[in-house]
Amino acid sequence: MRSRATLVTGCLIVALVLAVAAVSMVWTPYDPNHVDAARQLAGAGGEHLLGTDQLGRDVASRLMVGARITVFAGVVAVGIALLAGVPMGVVAGMTGGWLSTVIMRVSDFLLAFPALLLAIMLAAVYGSGTLTAMVAIGIASAPGFARVSRAATLRVMTAEYIDAARLAKRGRVAIALRHVLPNIADIVIVQASVSFSTAILAEAALSYLGLGTTPPTPSWGRMLQESQDLLFSTPQLSLWPGLAVAATVLGLNLLGDGLRDRVDPALEGVR
Amino acid sequence: MPPRRIPALTLSAALVTVTLAGCGSGADRHSTDALTVGLVAEPATLDFSTTDGAAIPQALLGNVYEGLVRIDQQGRIQPGLAKSYDRSADGRTYTFHLRNNVKFTNGKAFTADDAVFSINRVRTVWKLKIAQQMDDVRSATKVDADTVKVTLKRPSNNWLYSMTTRIGAMYSRDGVSDLKEHPVGTGPFEVESWQRGDSLVLKRNTGYWGARPALDTVTLKYFKDSGALNNAMLAGDINVLGAVQAPETLSLFKDKSRFQVIDGSSTSEVVLSMNNSRKPFQDKRVRQAVRYAIDHEALLKTTRAGRGTLIGSQESPSDPWYAGASNRYPYDPAKAKRLLKEAGAEGTSIRMRIPNLPYAVSAAQVVQDQLAQVGLKVRIEPLEFPARWLSEVFDKADYDMSIIAHAEPRDQWIFADPHYYFRYDNPAYARLLQKADAGSPQEASADYRRALKLLSQDAAADWLYLVPNLMVADKSLRGLPVNQVGEGLEFAGVRWSGK
Amino acid sequence: MSHVVRRTATLLVSVVVASFVVFAFLAVLPGNAAEVALGTNATPAAVARLSREFGTDRPLLVQYADWAQGLLHGDFGTSYVTHEAIGPRIANRFAVTVWLVAGGMLVALLLALPAGVLAAAWHRTGRGALLSGLSQVGIAVPAFLAGILLVYAFAVRVGALPAGGYTPLAEDPQDWARHLVLPWLSLGLVQGAVLTRYVRSALLSVQRQDFMRTARAKGVRRWAALCRHGLPNAAIPVVTVLGLQLSNLLVGAIVVERVFVIPGLGDLLLRGVQDRDLLLVQGVVVVLVVAVLVVNLVTDLLYRVLDPRLRSR
Repeated sequence: MRSRATLVTGCLIVALVLAVAAVSMVWTPYDPNHVDAARQLAGAGGEHLLGTDQLGRDVASRLMVGARITVFAGVVAVGIALLAGVPMGVVAGMTGGWLSTVIMRVSDFLLAFPALLLAIMLAAVYGSGTLTAMVAIGIASAPGFARVSRAATLRVMTAEYIDAARLAKRGRVAIALRHVLPNIADIVIVQASVSFSTAILAEAALSYLGLGTTPPTPSWGRMLQESQDLLFSTPQLSLWPGLAVAATVLGLNLLGDGLRDRVDPALEGVR
Repeated sequence: MPPRRIPALTLSAALVTVTLAGCGSGADRHSTDALTVGLVAEPATLDFSTTDGAAIPQALLGNVYEGLVRIDQQGRIQPGLAKSYDRSADGRTYTFHLRNNVKFTNGKAFTADDAVFSINRVRTVWKLKIAQQMDDVRSATKVDADTVKVTLKRPSNNWLYSMTTRIGAMYSRDGVSDLKEHPVGTGPFEVESWQRGDSLVLKRNTGYWGARPALDTVTLKYFKDSGALNNAMLAGDINVLGAVQAPETLSLFKDKSRFQVIDGSSTSEVVLSMNNSRKPFQDKRVRQAVRYAIDHEALLKTTRAGRGTLIGSQESPSDPWYAGASNRYPYDPAKAKRLLKEAGAEGTSIRMRIPNLPYAVSAAQVVQDQLAQVGLKVRIEPLEFPARWLSEVFDKADYDMSIIAHAEPRDQWIFADPHYYFRYDNPAYARLLQKADAGSPQEASADYRRALKLLSQDAAADWLYLVPNLMVADKSLRGLPVNQVGEGLEFAGVRWSGK
Repeated sequence: MSHVVRRTATLLVSVVVASFVVFAFLAVLPGNAAEVALGTNATPAAVARLSREFGTDRPLLVQYADWAQGLLHGDFGTSYVTHEAIGPRIANRFAVTVWLVAGGMLVALLLALPAGVLAAAWHRTGRGALLSGLSQVGIAVPAFLAGILLVYAFAVRVGALPAGGYTPLAEDPQDWARHLVLPWLSLGLVQGAVLTRYVRSALLSVQRQDFMRTARAKGVRRWAALCRHGLPNAAIPVVTVLGLQLSNLLVGAIVVERVFVIPGLGDLLLRGVQDRDLLLVQGVVVVLVVAVLVVNLVTDLLYRVLDPRLRSR
């Protein structure tokens, strides 16, 4: 029962973030980048729901656009990790032998290579930006997908229907697409939800370091960085984006846990 | 926390040694012979003849090194190691009469030979572009032990001015073997110790020729970030916060019983550069439109809490020819739109490639929004500073717009060089500067004024503001330089009150 | 034994590959150390001269070989920008980061062991659910955000602790600790939350095993049984997670160092990249990668020691 509650809560939070992100594409209370010297650091309430920042920009509008950046960051990073990691894992799991060894060594190496360092380097070459940062995080997350999907593939390969498919002289690609992928999908989805929250945390951290989303586009991490100097005088400016990051990650984690319990009922109640 | 200063009576030599030993854990609050100054940018080496960066002359010029002439708080040239100088009628020859009681900290006397050596050294050893200012020198010769004659290829006021900057620093012929670590000069202080990444300790030069400095030691403590700097000031670990990074944080130092805020002018112009060689900024009207479109007062208020001076050309209040508000453009978005329409540049996309420094990032966001109001689409690209910005914007001029502070004093020449990253190519401006340089000092001011007016009318760039020289200091400190006029942060005149 | 040899070999290869990748990367980045050293005063001739002096105008492979050879003799080279020896500088900074990470890990352990045991003992009770909920929230807070919140609470509101900065241990141990309390907490709380969940789930799966039922049948109280019999058996999965976390922390410390302005490896790395100080970045990367790999290796070996079933493999 508890896992159900977890799943529902997670779904609700994630749906809220998605909804806010979607709405921000067509409407925000104010232009999120509009500077208004007459309204610097306005408090919450009044004309500006959550107040304004040091440049007089509407915090609520910026938070909304920040949600969109967050979703975008997660989708890009997880997309890259999925597209790179799952084929690696499936191939390694299906073929075995030296190819499998090479793939797994490469992924071990990537695991040891600090993701943040990769992001710093890519930012130096291509300039900082949400996309650059997320490509780095995507590459760094790929080995996780490779490992999970290899393990799942190994298990699937022992199933009878694979033997049947082989006897029917199906090609390897066909077996991978028709039999392996559908049967490892659930585990990959769980991994995706975990990676999604990792990616969001990474985007926030990189933007905080000034290596992620470029100004004036509001990213929650950048909003945190911009407001840190004002922690002594206007602490609420750090509160809102902080809350947004934490709530979103919490939602994704709950969703991931709920899904995992569904996929792997043996674990119910344990996690 | 109340100030914990013990009355001056209890001072003794013993306390001074305590200060020296305890410099790492902060200034000794009980000593009025010692001073600890918190700064952010630290010197990479101690040799400004081979390494660039404002931090080296900031620490050493006027403290460890001195020139034949120096600049005063009003921007006037005053005698330094030369007790006087004569300028020939044609402006080509300067004769410096040296003080004869000056010694280097390596014990050697300062003579005409050292002066000639130092001037020639700039032309042979220095690697930096500023050394080119010495190219005007035809010869530097010793007349007698106390007299040096410098002959220029052409008359130059700038040359005399440049002798007040780091390139005019006087070196001992026997003291240049290890300048990166051990500078040898004639100044009121000498380097006692240097702990990279932490602090530079200066101690009083006991053999100094001039008035005895009130301070025995000055510790320059380098912080990585303004937050730590503020904390150190609040905690009393430092006596002077040498550069307030974010003026909003001044509210931390409201306590008048402990702190004084020093708000003077600097020579650091924050320039919104426009690539004059590229569309759309080849067109003067577009550049002017940008200047009309920016609400400079709002920008200063939002990004600098209103601290700083609004300027309209490459000038500072400490320049003798400073024209005040007359070079500024009023905020007039309607006029900006009209100009853009005339030039057919409405809706143009612009790449603003800025260094990833906080002041540039916050100013860029305001500029971006204000230009959006008149129909220019600006995309901000923060580039790593220094490496990438220097390489792409400064060296290759691969940019449409940028923002950076030009900190060097009297750097009007940067707009006279068509290869400089502004790519501003106006022979009339260059000619005016040349004329100002060659004329008598009286004519020079009028010519400079004309040149800077032309620069402003041409909208070679936009000047966002002049960085304030903002410092926070312990209430009982006296004699800190209010305006930053030259390259050095000088401590010779600083003292604790009550002593 | 052969396993250890194989793992160590893998480690060495990884370090070489990683260092070469970084070297190549930095060499093609826009901007170079000579330009940085000369700043806005650079002339093309001066840049060329300085590049020659630095040796950065030589072919990439030659530079790499030169650097690698030095490294084999324990020499990290000299920084282009500051002319300092890099080895001692990295050692200095690494010590700072190690203190930071070790303290953070300790906080995490001190938090997670009791919390995990309690959460397992209170399984299926309201209190247990509350603890699990708290740990969920803890996981969702990134360390740098925790840092900002802690600064607000303890430096701004209470004013008891500094908001940032660092004092070397040798200089003033008390001040050193004062500066590190908040960074330790921000790393430790988050990692502790993660660890709590692993301790709890490891304990719960142990709980279902026979020896636990026996102990309970003998009348041993539930939490006592958990501590005495459960914890040692739950050690395997917990050690694995601990290892993973440790390597995460080494890199995650970069961001926390920025929040608290701690002069650790991260600060050195970011600055090195910005200055194109090739050898400096190179050195830091090698140290970081080696540290991560060593932690992985040790975890892996510990795992084998703890779980006899794996030893024969």
